[in-house]
Parts: sequence; structure tokens; C-alpha cells
Amino acid sequence: MPPRTTRTTGRATRSAAPRPPHASEDDPRIMLDREISSDLYDPVPPYPTQTEREAEFYTRGDGEMFLNVGPHHPATHGVLRLVLKLSGEQVVDVDPVLGYLHRGVEKICENSDYYHVIDQVDPLEYVSSLFQEWAAVLAFEKLMDVEVPARAEWIRVLSGELLRISSHTLFMGFLALDLGGLTPILYSFIERDEIVEMLAALTGARMLFNYFRIGGVNGDLNHEFLSRLGDWMSRAAKQTEANAGLLNENEIFVRRARGVGVLSREMALRYGVTGGNLRASGVPFDVRRAHPYSVYPALDFNVPTRLEGDALARYLIRVDEVRESIKIIDQCLHNMPDGPVMAKLPRLLRPHPGRAWGAVEGPRGMLGVYAISDGSDQPFRFRIHDPSFVNLETVPALLPGNLLADTMAIVSSLDPVMGGIDK
Amino acid sequence: MTFAVRTWDRMSPTARLTAILVPLALLLAVATVIGVLVVVPATINFLGANLPLVRFGVAVVGILVLTIPTAFVLIYMELKIIARMNLRVGPNRIGPWGAAMSLVHGFKVLSKEDFAPTGADLPVFTLAPVVTFLASVMTLLVVPFAPGIFGQDFNIGLLFFFAMGGLSVLGLLMAGWASFNKYSLLGGLRSAAQIVSYEIPLTVSVVGVVILAGTMSTNSIVLAQRGSALDWFVFKQPLAALIFFIAATAEANRTPFDMTEADSEIVAGFATEYSGMRFGFFFFAEYVNVFIVSALITTVFFGGWTAPFNWPWPYNLNWLDAWSIGILWIPIAGIVLFVGTDIMAAVVRLLGGKAWTAPSAFGLGLLITGALMTAAVGLALFIAFDWVQGIFWFMAKTYVFVFIVRLDARHAAPRPGGSADGLRLEMAPARIASQPLRDGNRRDHPEPVNAR
Repeated sequence: MPPRTTRTTGRATRSAAPRPPHASEDDPRIMLDREISSDLYDPVPPYPTQTEREAEFYTRGDGEMFLNVGPHHPATHGVLRLVLKLSGEQVVDVDPVLGYLHRGVEKICENSDYYHVIDQVDPLEYVSSLFQEWAAVLAFEKLMDVEVPARAEWIRVLSGELLRISSHTLFMGFLALDLGGLTPILYSFIERDEIVEMLAALTGARMLFNYFRIGGVNGDLNHEFLSRLGDWMSRAAKQTEANAGLLNENEIFVRRARGVGVLSREMALRYGVTGGNLRASGVPFDVRRAHPYSVYPALDFNVPTRLEGDALARYLIRVDEVRESIKIIDQCLHNMPDGPVMAKLPRLLRPHPGRAWGAVEGPRGMLGVYAISDGSDQPFRFRIHDPSFVNLETVPALLPGNLLADTMAIVSSLDPVMGGIDK
Repeated sequence: MTFAVRTWDRMSPTARLTAILVPLALLLAVATVIGVLVVVPATINFLGANLPLVRFGVAVVGILVLTIPTAFVLIYMELKIIARMNLRVGPNRIGPWGAAMSLVHGFKVLSKEDFAPTGADLPVFTLAPVVTFLASVMTLLVVPFAPGIFGQDFNIGLLFFFAMGGLSVLGLLMAGWASFNKYSLLGGLRSAAQIVSYEIPLTVSVVGVVILAGTMSTNSIVLAQRGSALDWFVFKQPLAALIFFIAATAEANRTPFDMTEADSEIVAGFATEYSGMRFGFFFFAEYVNVFIVSALITTVFFGGWTAPFNWPWPYNLNWLDAWSIGILWIPIAGIVLFVGTDIMAAVVRLLGGKAWTAPSAFGLGLLITGALMTAAVGLALFIAFDWVQGIFWFMAKTYVFVFIVRLDARHAAPRPGGSADGLRLEMAPARIASQPLRDGNRRDHPEPVNAR
């Protein structure tokens, strides 16, 4: 047999060592047709099962079926995978599987200098990335005892509240989408697009803004941003009411969301849920009021609260918050002081050894950053508290007993963003 | 043998072609003669003796053919209506106003791979779309389109309709079972549960109509509603009509009853694993179903092909024949078209001003004259033939219901505030964010300030 020539290298390769015989029958990696059964597509439990809980979950009872929802599924936000144990259409048990987006951002941040951290944390909360920057910047400013110029603080609040509106509007659309309504999401994206365009005029990016800096913001307000903002503000309130009316007055939507996935006050507090999900359960906790930062003490706004704790309450809280945010933006535009937008800081930051906790109220709840400095130009420890992760923890408690169709309403109403959850 | 091969090798291509074609032509001639002399008369005799069979065959073929334009029109309607609700433009590239979009959809579906997943029950998997499609289409057999234009006049017409409609769920169940996919299975079972739930109110709601008409034959039910709109059964049985409409929407698996293919829960339900033309059949069946339930609502409650007022039944247009000019109508039509085009072009030029050059004025003139003549011919047909009237009224009513069934598509109601402040498509011009807003973009500075 002449030596074969491989096409890529063109060099002759000798088949000196005989290839090992093909282990077709014994090789466990090779799937034979006769082995195909309905068990084939059941999720494979970690082997050996690590905990009692795992062993319990992956033991099927009579008439029960596993259903993999995700990581690629139209209704799971991002790459969340829920292994559901179904009895008919009723959810018996659920095992959320996370980590498909895990990059180890916290460790990456510990290996970057302080300026670099800001654009590392950007993609976590990718729907509202300014808040993640804000938390990091807030912690670092506490660490370094930096005085932020007043105008920079007002700009931060202005851009943050704009992004909160965009995030909440998107939430409403996606909730309706998961309940089967295709149209509201398109109306939501109109609003989001306008906000994102004006933020692009301000920051230069549409999604991952990288705008906040330690000691200020990257640039002052410009003409295009202000003209777009004024144009949008002239009809923002009316548009919000119209968009909300599309869903609030839809009987199907209201009936499907009401009474579904009730998160009681005690349960929400025990799990550590924050943000709109907590306020929908009757706890008036808002970081902007409870632990004021920036210029929020000077602003006039309400903390909307509801008692029901169901998916509809979580939706309505968001609608109320959009109204409040519009109020805040209005106040920002009226009270914006003049002055610099950046404190004078050295090129290389070496804060004194110490530790700091900075928390802001993101659209999904309390976004916190805990940073420890050892005196070098990189944070010694950098930890992120992501609200989506805590909110998602309630899913295994909320789902069992509901129908399959309601799982989407529940998960969607908690508004998880997988970027922040997987970190 | 050698001789034959050597001869073949020496022949020119033309000669080879002749050597093949001449014997073939001879064979064909002989077969034709035998056919004309023996087979055709026998067949004609047989069919003549069995006219109902002929009628059945023609009806089946006609109805199968009818589904294609129906589905195309419905798909186009849905695309456009939902686009308006979503503040989109919808299809606008292929054909006038995107009207050929469904045709291209059809070609796309045909050209896709016919995929079947590992572990699928292949015979059942293949048969499922066929069952669904045929069951849907066969229900059209008892729908009377116009006086004398219907598939079969069963005396159990309504029963046949519900039986066939119930059969279509078998196909969905087969698809759900055979796909070897849990989402499909859930979708199939959901559709079975839904049909079982809504079939009963659907069937019970027409009992009143059956009693009023005294028959189950759809033709007789339409005839029983003849007269004016006040004779329609919807005014005698309003509640039944409402129940029937809701249950029929569920029967057609339309939103808000689209649990069987709820894409946010069970990816695409029974159709998850289907692709290519197999999926196309499901798709087709779904849209034909919308037409069918609308047609049945029209037939049972809204008078079918009868006119909504006391229409003077066909006028005798024999005076046209009385002129006895026959084929001369063709040159007359030509002359009318020619002269009419000239007159219309002149009118267009007079009214439209200089913008209308001669070719465009003549083009528009031809268009207007053609439309007017078509309308005149249609009007004459409408007046002269009761079946033209019947089809007109039937289709008009049916498409109103098709539109209503579509309207709640995807839970979308037109936006509050109306299109005047809702439609902001041309707002928000795409501008690159890094470019500063030039003063030229503002209305009070028509020229860029820095141009000088």
C-alpha cells in the first residue's frame, strides 16, 4: 500500500502504527440505534449524585417526565436552563442549571487596574449596564475617598434613570411575549431604541456604555443628547401610558398574570429578594431611599409598593417605576448645576488598604460591589452582588404546582438577566 | 448484435435520433388509434352512466386547487395586518405591495430539506401532515359556494363537517406522537384536549339551526335563510352564533386558542420537528381551516350565498343576445378599449398637467379603461348569473369573518391613540451617534451653518 498524502500538508505520512480496532460495541460513547429510547433525551444526572437533593430530583415517580427548557428556548431569558419534572402539564419539581455564560469576571477584575474594571463589569447586566458600572465606581470612590463633582452626579442620575425606563419597558414587552403576545415587545423596542440612541449620543455606545468613571463621568452632556432627550420627554409620559394600556387593558394578559407565582413578604425577605420583585411583595425597600447615594436625597419621587406579590403586581410595579423615573428625569433637567464632570485624579490609582461596599438600585434590585484594596493598583478582592441571581433563586420555590404555561410567566416576571447571574 | 452496435456507432446524431423517435411515434400512433377506438368511448360511457362519480372527482380536484390561492391570500393578509399592528411595513418587496410573498414562501418551503429526527416513527411522522391537511380540505366538500356550486349535497352535511373537523386533530396527535420530542407530544395532547373541549359546544350550538331549517344539509340551511338579512339565523339564534364563533376559533387553533403551538412554552408544539413541505402542509391546513370555519359561520348563521337584502334575482340579459352579433363583441370590445384609452389619456393630461408625459398618460388611460371595462363585464355577469352573485356574497361575508378571526391575532389590538400618533415609522432617522447633530437638520436652518 503506497503512503497516503494528506491534502493539508502535502507530506507523505506512513501508516506505521496500525490504528486501534474500532470499539463499536463496547465504546460507551457510541450510540447504537437499538439504544434509542425515550430515556435517551432525559437529562443525565451528575454521576455519582452529589447531594440527596440531586438524587431525589433525578428519580422519576410514576407518570412523571423530565422536560429540558433551555438553554436554547424561546422563552428562557438568555441561557437559563430549567430541568422541569412534569406530571402531565403540572410542574412537580425544577432544577435550574446555571453557568453557561460564566467567565469569572470577578477574578478578571482582580487582575485589572481600577480604571479597567469599569468596562469589565459592563457586560454583566447587559440590559442596563450603567448600573453595574455605577456600583463599581461607587465602591471605588468610597475606597479612595474621592469627591465627585455635583454635575457628574446629576448626569449619572439622569442617564441611569433613562436606562431604567428602557430596561423596564423591555421587561413589559418580554413578559407579554412569554405570555403569547407578539406585539408589545415591538412597541417596547421603539422606546428602548430612542433611549439607547440618545445614550449613544452621550456615551458613544448603544449597549455597553463604559461611561462612568471613578470621580465623574466620561463626557459632558452634548447637543444631540439633549435635543433627543427633549424630543422624547415631550411625549414620554403619554407614550408610557399608551404602552401600559396595551397590556393593562388586555383581559387575557391580566388573567394569566394575576395570582400566578405569588411571592409572599416573608419568603421574599428570607431569600433576600430586592428591587421591584420585593416591592411587589409589600416591602418598601429601595436602595435610593434606604441607603441614599448620589443626589437621590435631593430628588422628589415615590417608592411604589404593592401587596399581592404575584406576576401582575411585579409588572405593575415596573409601570409605576417608569412613571417615577420620568419625574426624576424632569427634576434632573431642571436642577442640573454647571461645572466640571470629572474630579482630578492621578493616572495610576493606588488606594490605601481598606474595604468598601457600594450599592445602587438597579432595575432588577440592589446591585452591589464589595471591593478590598491592598494598596496596589488592582483590587485585592472584587465581589459582585447581582439581584437577578437572588431573584432567580425563588424560582424552584415558586414553580412547583403551577402549569407549564405559567412557568414562563413566573420566570419572566422575575426579570432575570443571565449575564449577571452567571458572571 | 455486433452488427447492430457497429451500425449504431457509424450513425450520425440526427440519424440516431430518428432511429429512436420513428419507432416511438409509430407506437404512439397505434396506441392512440386503439385508445380512441376502444378506451375513450368506454370511459365516456362509464362516466356518463356514473355522473355523480364525475361530479365528486371534479369537486375534490377543484377544492384541492381552491385551497392554494385561499391559503396564499390568507397568509398575505395576516402578514400585512399584523405588520400594521406592530408598526411595521410588512412584505413589500415581491410583487405589488408584497402580494407575491406567500408564493415565495411556498417555494421556500418546497426547497427545504425534509428532515426527520432520529427515533421518529417514520410512517406515522410522514402521514400526520397528510391526515391533517386532507381532513381540513375535505370539510370544504359540503360548503355551498353558490347556487349549484358545491361539492356534495349530503343530507348529513353538518355532521360530515364536524366529523372531518374532528379528524384533523388525529393528524396533530400523530405528529405529536411520532416526532419523538417531548414538546411535540405536549402540543399534540394539548390539541386533542382542546378539540375535545370545544367540539361539544361547537356541535351543540348548531342544533337550534338544524331544528329551524329542519335538515342538516348545508344547502338546505342556506335556502332556509333566503330573503333579506333579517331572515338569517344569526337573528334567530344570536347566542348560538356567538358560541359557534368562539368555539370555531378554538377549532382552528387561532389565538387566543393557540395553546397547541404556544411558541413561548412548547417551542412549536406538534410542528417542532417538522420542516420543509411536511411543515408546509400543517401551515396550509391551518390557514385553510381559518377560511373553512369562516365559511361555515357564513353558511350556518349568515345566510351563505344569499344576498343581504331582497335582491331582484337574475335579470334576463337576453336583449344582448337579441342583437345577434355574437363574435362581433370581440372587435367591439377592442374598439371601445382603443377609443376609451385615448379619451382617458386626454382627461389625464388635462387634469394632471405637464407632469404626465404622453406614454404615462396613455398607460394610465389604458389602466383606467381596462378597469372600467372589467367592471362592466363583471357587472353584466353579476346581473345575469345567480351563481356569480352567490359567489360574490359568499366570499364577501366569509372574508369579513376571516378578517375578524385574524384581528385578534397575537393578542394585538390596534394601539390606543390610533395610527395618527401611533405610527412613527418615519420618525427617528437613523443617524450615526458619533456624528454631531448638525444645525442643518433643524427646520429653521435649511442650509448647514458651517457650509459657508
